[in-house]
Amino acid sequence: MTDLALRVSGKRVGRGGALALPSRLSPKGIVPWLLPLTILIVWQASASLGQLPASILPAPSEVLAAAWRLLRSGELATNAGVSFSRAASGLIVGGTIAFSFGLSNGLSRLSERATDTTIQMVRNIPNLALIPLVILWFGIEEGAKLFLVSFGVFFPIYINTFHGIRTVDPQLVEMARSYGFSGFALFRRVILPGALPSILVGLRYALGIMWLTLIVAETIAAQSGLGYMAMSAREFMQTDVVVLAILIYALLGKVADSAVRVIERLSLSWHPAYRKGRRA
Amino acid sequence: MTQTAFKQERVSAAGASVTLRGITRRFGNNSVLEGVDLDIKPGEFVAIVGKSGSGKSTLLRVIAGLDHDFGGALTIGGAGGVKTTARIMYQEPRLPPWASIIDNVAFGLGPTPSRQDALSKARNALEAVHLADRGPEWPDVLSGGQKQRVALARALVSRPDLLVLDEPLGALDALTRIGMQSLLENVWQEEGFTAILVTHDVTEALTLADRIVLIENGQIALDLDVPFPRPRRRGSVQFAALADELLSALLKSKSQTEEYVI
Ligand SMILES: Nc1ncnc2c1ncn2[C@@H]1O[C@H](COP(=O)(O)OP(=O)(O)O)[C@@H](O)[C@H]1O
Ligand SMILES: [Mg+2]
Repeated sequence: MTDLALRVSGKRVGRGGALALPSRLSPKGIVPWLLPLTILIVWQASASLGQLPASILPAPSEVLAAAWRLLRSGELATNAGVSFSRAASGLIVGGTIAFSFGLSNGLSRLSERATDTTIQMVRNIPNLALIPLVILWFGIEEGAKLFLVSFGVFFPIYINTFHGIRTVDPQLVEMARSYGFSGFALFRRVILPGALPSILVGLRYALGIMWLTLIVAETIAAQSGLGYMAMSAREFMQTDVVVLAILIYALLGKVADSAVRVIERLSLSWHPAYRKGRRA
Repeated sequence: MTQTAFKQERVSAAGASVTLRGITRRFGNNSVLEGVDLDIKPGEFVAIVGKSGSGKSTLLRVIAGLDHDFGGALTIGGAGGVKTTARIMYQEPRLPPWASIIDNVAFGLGPTPSRQDALSKARNALEAVHLADRGPEWPDVLSGGQKQRVALARALVSRPDLLVLDEPLGALDALTRIGMQSLLENVWQEEGFTAILVTHDVTEALTLADRIVLIENGQIALDLDVPFPRPRRRGSVQFAALADELLSALLKSKSQTEEYVI
């Protein structure tokens, strides 16, 4: 058991994060945190000593105080909740459509011929370039954000689903067919698991685009959400709230990324890169 | 090496008969099979040898039902006239890495076996290839020879009447290959299926087969009975003599697609 775990972790070091977990607890695990900690201390010290005007960058302690203030008033929870649900609904809508197209184009040449070229053409439009048009269509209501986020997450999920299905080992497909697998059984037992690593890569890319799109959209045109909170704070020179909003965006991005990592580790436990030990 | 697990369940030992009449197959302008006639008796072990590119795999895919674009007549008679499905074993193990070893074996039962039944059958098949305790692990922890044993268990779990093997041991080292050969012979004797083995190894053909056929120019050029009693001893004089004869026939044979140009 230990022998196996060692071999596995010895074989793949590329994806550090998942496998390097135990070392984080050791003294050596502190090293990566030394630099950010130092920066934080210098930042706090120079602000306290008056070297750093609060109008440029507020001290970490002030950002914390702002967080506490907004938490108590409920503003923070409301705006974060609004941003989160926009992100989630955009991901679900765009992701579902993209996954469907990826599936049908991956599985059917006819479907691919009918839609793939069009999708590849639309892909060249940067989604943020659509903002003026989207504001004309939807105003600054929820529809605008939903559209932009869906549009942004569509392409990474589509392309990676399509690619994942097309690159499933044809020898495995032939093997399964020879044992009577076809249709949905073939899809569920061979094609989907074979395409899953690629699909999850697409999901991770999509999450990055999802936050970026949302931040920009909320900053330019919104009446709620974290981006709106940051923009209205700017009008009142509340740099502490602006910095807080930025940090929360970073935190939410990190949470989303970790969620995908958990999904990867659960659903790809067979994959040497994600495996921790023997299957029970 | 005994297959007690399989023996207990055995209902009737019988293989399928295989009849080929004027089998032809062409890829574009390349005519690979040009009228192959072959009769294989139920339970017989036939080895197919021939130069690389002579059409051995093509013929095997026709027999296994993986290729339908051929000319001529193919008849596979199941035991007692029952329709059979051939099982094929490839040079690569072709084990989906996302299924545990036991689930890989259960693949051989098709898409809709009952879970309980599938697991117990798969466990028996794994036992027959001496991997009984490896069932819950992922296939990629196994060695090459062990993977081929899993593939063999998968091919056998549905108790086929006909097993076709396309150089299944070609990628294994010499020692592992000898172990696999005797495992294959044992399972074949226990199960009684008809076996058709493509191999480029003359010794392997002589060790395992009742009959050896040589494919040349898209036809059967030589059909040789192997009279030695089993288990066969590679060292014997008669064995060596037959190996010599076979090897020189192989070397003389000109494949349609020459491998080398001087
Ligand atoms: N799917 C295919 N399409 C075109 N040519 C093929 C195909 N499969 C086999 N061939 C050709 O048929 C010939 C025999 O191939 P094969 O049966 O694989 O030979 P062997 O197994 O005896 O080495 C080769 O010349 C090969 O190029
Ligand atoms: Mg071949």
